[in-house]
Amino acid sequence: MGLLTSLRDSISRVTDGLFAADEPKRIGIYGPPNAGKTTLANRIARDWTGDAVGPESHIPHETRRARRKENVEIERNGRKVTIDIVDTPGVTTKVDYKEFLDHDMDKEDAVRRSREATEGVAEAMHWLREDVDGVIYVLDSTTDPFTQVNTMLIGIIESQDLPALILANKTDLPESDVQQIANAFPQHETIPLSALEGENMDEVYTKIAEYFG
Amino acid sequence: MPHQCIECGRTFPDGSKEMLSGCPDCGGNKFQFKPAGVMDSSEPDPTTSKSPTGSKSPTGSRSPTDSDPPTDPDPAPGFDSSSEADPERPSSDPEEPSSGPGRSPDTTPPPDPPASSDPPGSPAPTDGPDPAGSRPERAAGTADPDTTDPVEGDAERIDDEEPEDTAQASARSDVVSPDELDRATRETGSAATESGSVEPPASQPGVDELRDELNEQFESIKIVSPGQYELNLMELYDRQEYIISLQEDGRYVIEMPDAWGVTDE
Repeated sequence: MGLLTSLRDSISRVTDGLFAADEPKRIGIYGPPNAGKTTLANRIARDWTGDAVGPESHIPHETRRARRKENVEIERNGRKVTIDIVDTPGVTTKVDYKEFLDHDMDKEDAVRRSREATEGVAEAMHWLREDVDGVIYVLDSTTDPFTQVNTMLIGIIESQDLPALILANKTDLPESDVQQIANAFPQHETIPLSALEGENMDEVYTKIAEYFG
Repeated sequence: MPHQCIECGRTFPDGSKEMLSGCPDCGGNKFQFKPAGVMDSSEPDPTTSKSPTGSKSPTGSRSPTDSDPPTDPDPAPGFDSSSEADPERPSSDPEEPSSGPGRSPDTTPPPDPPASSDPPGSPAPTDGPDPAGSRPERAAGTADPDTTDPVEGDAERIDDEEPEDTAQASARSDVVSPDELDRATRETGSAATESGSVEPPASQPGVDELRDELNEQFESIKIVSPGQYELNLMELYDRQEYIISLQEDGRYVIEMPDAWGVTDE
């Protein structure tokens, strides 16, 4: 009986290993609202598959459901890495419909958007627990990274031992301060980029291959 | 009864864990929130804060901050489980506007036939991370969580006169019994150890912080008003089940672990 059990375990480990090698890693793109997560996801998807992931917007919480782009094959230095990109809603501790009223939205739409955004955050947190193999954490380098959300999420990611790549986005803006991000999370490597302009994407892809390959 | 299955109409007390695995009667997973004050109304007050996935209604049972200043600002009322905090508890029931003098917690809990047969307390210890989060509050705020808990004692304790009286007698006395103290200490863990006695704790801010921290743990999503939400990320992350749909007027849908084949953590 014991022999059978251990044999079955061994076979199961071998088959798991085979499938694990075949299955692309699921990489969640996380970060606060308006950090440029969808812009980055679209940039990566367009560069390697030709398709976009979802609509981008300057209005916070444009992404209210996690969207996935599967089998994105990134080739770096003769090595291929296949990942599934999961673009997640921006994570926040407060959602208020009033912040949408400034964006030409009536109250009813704003309240609905707020509700959907809240569901989206719940979903994003759930995915983080259950469904991602690695995280690309996107921060707006023009804003202060020392926030409760960032600290908590990075802490969760670290506690899960998930490989995490921190990106300091929006380097095309004059007020961008990459060093501020690097100082906030010195235990991680910080890669500057402008997902909108495509600046420094080469390094981003190299790091994706290195971290998630 | 703050929660009601919209399929069969079964109600659940606030903080019930039963509904987290679906309605025991019909298996439905759609519930609406019905604050105690509008029990007969089909449209609950959306402005009332609530905790859809979780534990306690801030208007009702989560009252440590309400009762904080008036009781006794100095010796950490929430954790002084002997005299002040306990009698305040039952009177904070939203059903009963009366508070203070003439309180009679024995008669305060409204009889609620549907829930009398429910054992809301029983599934709690085996259910997810929430009991761990909610127990410290109950133990911290009440001398004896088994007898005076404002949520669980709401219905099923109604005919359990003896423990209620004991709790009241205990609450009116100045000193908590060693047995109760021990139990409360065990419930709250090391955090409340130093303040579990009637002695004031070393520093009031520390206790307030702890209370805030505990309060925060009880809800994953707090609906401040329609369109305004506060989220407890840790709680959302820790939960196996999660809210997949918030709807108007307090309705919401939760995804249950069974639905996606996860049996345990």
